[in-house]
Amino acid sequence: MADTAAATLRITGMHCAACADTLEAALRRVPGILAASVSAAGQAAEVRWDPARVGPEAIAQAVRAAGYDAAPDTSAAARRLRKREARVGLWRLFVAGLCAMQIMMLAEPVYLAGPGEIAPEYRRLLAWGQWTLSLPVLLFSAAPMFAGAWRSLKSRRIGMDVPVALGLAIAFLASTGVVFGPDAALLRREVYFDSLSMFVAFLLAGRYLEMTARHRAETALEQASSRLPARALRIAPDGQAAEVPIDALVAGDRLRVPLGETFPADGILCAGATAADESLLTGESRPATKAVGDAVIAGSINLGAPVEMIAERLGADTRAEAIAALMRAARTQRPALLAVADRWAGPFLWGILALSIGAFLAWQRIDADRALEAAIAVLIVTCPCALSLAAPTALLAAASRMGRGGLLVRDVNAIERLARVQTLFVDKTGTLTTGEPACARIRALAASVQGGAAAFAEKGASLAAWSSHPLAKAIHRRWNPDATVWCAIEETPGRGIAARDEHGDRWCLGSPEWLGWPASGGIEVVLARNGTPLLGFGFTETLREDAVRAIQRLHDDGVAVRLLSGDDPARVRRVAAALAIEDARGGLSPEDKLAALQQAQEARECVAMIGDGINDAPVLARADVAIAMGAGAALARSQADAILLSNRLGDVADARLLARRALRVVNQNLAWAVVYNATCVPLALSGHLPAWAAGLGMAASSLVVVLNSMRLAR
Amino acid sequence: MESLYLLVPLSALLVLALLGLFGWALNAGQFDDLEREGQRILGADSPLDADQATSPPLSEE
Repeated sequence: MADTAAATLRITGMHCAACADTLEAALRRVPGILAASVSAAGQAAEVRWDPARVGPEAIAQAVRAAGYDAAPDTSAAARRLRKREARVGLWRLFVAGLCAMQIMMLAEPVYLAGPGEIAPEYRRLLAWGQWTLSLPVLLFSAAPMFAGAWRSLKSRRIGMDVPVALGLAIAFLASTGVVFGPDAALLRREVYFDSLSMFVAFLLAGRYLEMTARHRAETALEQASSRLPARALRIAPDGQAAEVPIDALVAGDRLRVPLGETFPADGILCAGATAADESLLTGESRPATKAVGDAVIAGSINLGAPVEMIAERLGADTRAEAIAALMRAARTQRPALLAVADRWAGPFLWGILALSIGAFLAWQRIDADRALEAAIAVLIVTCPCALSLAAPTALLAAASRMGRGGLLVRDVNAIERLARVQTLFVDKTGTLTTGEPACARIRALAASVQGGAAAFAEKGASLAAWSSHPLAKAIHRRWNPDATVWCAIEETPGRGIAARDEHGDRWCLGSPEWLGWPASGGIEVVLARNGTPLLGFGFTETLREDAVRAIQRLHDDGVAVRLLSGDDPARVRRVAAALAIEDARGGLSPEDKLAALQQAQEARECVAMIGDGINDAPVLARADVAIAMGAGAALARSQADAILLSNRLGDVADARLLARRALRVVNQNLAWAVVYNATCVPLALSGHLPAWAAGLGMAASSLVVVLNSMRLAR
Repeated sequence: MESLYLLVPLSALLVLALLGLFGWALNAGQFDDLEREGQRILGADSPLDADQATSPPLSEE
């Protein structure tokens, strides 16, 4: 097989799911490009090419020739593109808004005056003024709609841009004909510059708000630092430690990992003993004990003590990067759900074209002079204003409301999908639970303790205060330490802590194996005096405060909640029982989780996923709706449609209710658009619709849709 | 009424001039970050302008 090169490109200028197909087809036509896959949601293209036959410049040129713009997927270039996109978006909106207001001023006298009150020459002057001011709106502000329509036509797909562009063009051309035509036409027929410029301003305002929401979420993601440390401490053969950039490491390097830092590479521990928090990579909720010779994985956190390791695999070969690669592949396989408005665009367009041709033919037989006029009237009154505003306004209003609640929505179309979700997959560690263990029960292990267990637990808490191990901290949180004065304290990392009290007794608090007690019955820490085990401590995970209620509410809302975890199956079952989740699976690798999701999607279910870890990232990338915890790994957040900044699961239940309300509002808006068109079209067909009523109807239909959507934001 | 022949074109020109002014401000970056400028005063390390006093004058009573 020949050498291939691959890269991810960031694409700007994509407005709809159909754009992705257009661009994909354009890229595949370039000789030398082996594979191209474009994601409209991620605004990114993944391209594989043969470097001998084609260069990156030619690929970028192909993207530009298709009408989009491309940049390598690094945050600096992405930031520049975002800035330019924001500036151009605001500029187009401002031009449309200011001109629309001024056109309204010039249109208003004609609306208010009685018949014959304004002399024809002044009407022509006012119309001329409107025409001049609508030129920048049509040529500059509405350019993205015309470009979008052109792209859809080229790819033979009808997006919402097609009826919009057609309506704008017909309204403008017909009105232009009136402005420069004979006086009689000017008096009889009116001009539509005010309606069309206001419509463009409305649409652009919606698109601008959608863009700022997307930019805000993207900036928040880029600011989140990566979990891999950028520098590592390398120990030279002479024993000196020096800080080096992580890319300079090679396999076989001896590295020192300080307490609280992340392991920079996959490798083997060669000095010291510690506990590592691998929860973000594996979902395991308990820190894993690591002794000399144990494997450590890049991206996990060193909790116990400073240790030294030998690096074995670095960068792209590490487990964390392998998961990231799986995630990138999953992202491109995500099934595309057609947005509700785009489903309506095609039938709508064919409907109005058929009606206007019908009107033309019918009038040809009645009164041939008025045939063209009637056909144009149909095209103008069926302006797709309400239809094209129906979905974006409602979804944006819902997104802004969710943002106030603590769920930052990155892709507003995800709200529509959220309303359709049937199955919700949740991760356990860090999502349903806080990741901190809680001391749940104590058990007397010796007869002498019976009855006074609490006093021993307090002694244990007093000793636990000297350790930073998560289980010791949990004991200390649960029990009030007594007033024992400890001396000769020594901690063995990964095993436990030992000390003498004021009577000279030696107390130990640590793992059952260390103190010679069989590890069973849920006892994970043992307190011993002079070698005799006295008291055992059992732990559960701390559920997030509102987890039980949130899961119950989602269940009542018709969502099947399923638990996918990489943690020990017994612990998963305990959490599932506490939350009344029937379908819970533990011990899953990221690949297993992805397979479970794929299976649900193949059964044509709309699936959402909430997760926080690196191991959840592939599933999040593939899910129809991906929600990442705000406190989760950067990689997981980078894949999310929405980020749960509040870390309250109740906000997801709220968001689901709101999403369903938003979908109802979208449907109301669409119904209104249909009712409006169904009333106006027969009138226009029969030639009985006065022009002022058509203009007013068009403005009112947009306004009704916008106001109806605003109810969601309250 | 003849004055309309002057006023209507004038209003159109005025709008175009305003668009030009806004375009200049936009390209100069004045709208890139609307929140940062308002919050700059709260930043501890922002240097004082030359004409700003370092402490408010004491009231005489």
